[in-house]
Amino acid sequence: MNYQLLPFRFERFDDSRYLLTNDVGEYIYLTNDDFQSFVYGTMNTSSDTFFDIESKHIATTDKIEDVVNMLATKFRTKKSILRNFTELHMVVPTLRCNSSCVYCQVARKNLEDHTADMTKETAKKTVKAIFKSPSQCIKIEFQGGDPSTDFDMVKYIIEEAEWINLIKRRQLEFVICTNITLLDENKVKYLKKHHCYISTSLDGPKDLHNQNRPLQKDTNNHKIFEEKLSMIRSLWGDNNCISALMTTSKYSLGHFKEIIDEYLRLGFNSIFLRSLNPYGFAQQYKEKISYPIDDFITNYKEGLDYIIELNKKGTFFVEGFASILLKRMLTPFATGFVDLQSPAGVGIAGAIYDYDGNVYVADEGRMMARFKNYYFQLGNVNTDDYLSIFNGEKLHDIISKSCTESLPACSECVFQPYCGADPVRNMSTQGDIVGFRPTSEMCKKTKSIIRYLFELLDKKDADINKIFWSWIR
Amino acid sequence: MVNLKFPITEVEDYLFKVNVDLRIYSQEAITANCYKFSGDYYVHQQMDEINNNIVIVFIESKEKTAIIPEVVKQFCTDLIDQQLRIYTNKQFGHIRDLIVEEAFKPINKL
Repeated sequence: MNYQLLPFRFERFDDSRYLLTNDVGEYIYLTNDDFQSFVYGTMNTSSDTFFDIESKHIATTDKIEDVVNMLATKFRTKKSILRNFTELHMVVPTLRCNSSCVYCQVARKNLEDHTADMTKETAKKTVKAIFKSPSQCIKIEFQGGDPSTDFDMVKYIIEEAEWINLIKRRQLEFVICTNITLLDENKVKYLKKHHCYISTSLDGPKDLHNQNRPLQKDTNNHKIFEEKLSMIRSLWGDNNCISALMTTSKYSLGHFKEIIDEYLRLGFNSIFLRSLNPYGFAQQYKEKISYPIDDFITNYKEGLDYIIELNKKGTFFVEGFASILLKRMLTPFATGFVDLQSPAGVGIAGAIYDYDGNVYVADEGRMMARFKNYYFQLGNVNTDDYLSIFNGEKLHDIISKSCTESLPACSECVFQPYCGADPVRNMSTQGDIVGFRPTSEMCKKTKSIIRYLFELLDKKDADINKIFWSWIR
Repeated sequence: MVNLKFPITEVEDYLFKVNVDLRIYSQEAITANCYKFSGDYYVHQQMDEINNNIVIVFIESKEKTAIIPEVVKQFCTDLIDQQLRIYTNKQFGHIRDLIVEEAFKPINKL
């Protein structure tokens, strides 16, 4: 052999070709014959195929040290999410909510029930703990319940954070996750003034949205949603002040086209086609609202195809999950998507502070605690210091068991560079944080979608490629 | 009874066995391949009592429904890839360690 193989993973892509990827996400297809000659060291180093392989850093004829340095730099870029530690800090001011969503993941409280409201003392300690994070960028995201039901506490936390930040000088951002039905003009003006962006939920057209996300005391959530959306945009003067997320229940299947059309009708330019999370009511009532993951995958592909067609006809519209994966597949850059990182982003990229001061590695960890599983609780801001919460044995253990580079099956998966680990989901669905890939629905879903994106790229359709690049810019 | 060539034997329509030669495949490759099939099937390995170079892999349907022969053939095909992974990893495994070491050098200086 007169060339050196560099680290890569491979899988048969179809009957005639292998797909090879390396640790920094570069990829190449080789015919079966080329693959055999390549791995056994008999490939002609003057061939075009070898030049392609070498340009992707999957083999080299150069000095190893130089290539190692270059790949190390790229690897560092890919893992740059590790550089700053926890950036996303989710805070739960209250568990009160005026919705009763079919898939609710939280043991929500009625509007009159104040037993799960955050106290000012806990809020103060929460903000203090947040600013102990070494991250230069601090994003505080209000979760619930619906945080707008305790808007005074939202204001208190925002102002406390802004006050501390006069000295800390971090890049401070706020997001409020709300169904928006309780927002009025004063609240929206406040949010605008403090640059607190709004993340809401829209599950589709009227009937579907109302079925998935009914209000406790009103039958037409969708109508109120639409009115409030219009009020928010008109006050803010910028459509990008609000983004929406959808969740797929059993009722959503077969309706992705209508859901996408509804997003377009309401002026959104992106959607994140999201499957049901297996927590809370979604787990408890799964016979009623859950579905086989294969059904979601089929619907996702149809939805993505439809979105691509819309883009081809001149409507710029992004599918969020695809855009994250494409960025990983087509660029050397990292993406900040906490749910799909290696090591997992739990705790080290994002954490959640509950109304009572309990800190969990992720929102889903908090949801599991509602059902008496406290595995993902790191500590409490009222009783524990920052280091014992974020540098304790528990978080170290979780992180060390959530590197896809070393997890069974993940470590050799051709899609590993684009994927990530989710120890909370593994625990919830499979009983331990390492998980078991052969029956993991998350693994099946993510691999199927990545494979589908590869198939679309493989079409070498100039229009599709142009659309994909427009999504990741 | 499905007519399959050596080394695959149909014991029952829900249970197949595959004889794997350790002179061609490593135990590591066999186990890794068994792991991948263990979600859909019960998979068991044992040494052949007569020939120490043979590992017998049993693949059994979890619901005692018939296994289509293509599944077992796929097991054999995947085993080739699994062995190749071990072969290639031996050639570049040390380079992967070097890259990771180099990548984390800046933080090691802190």
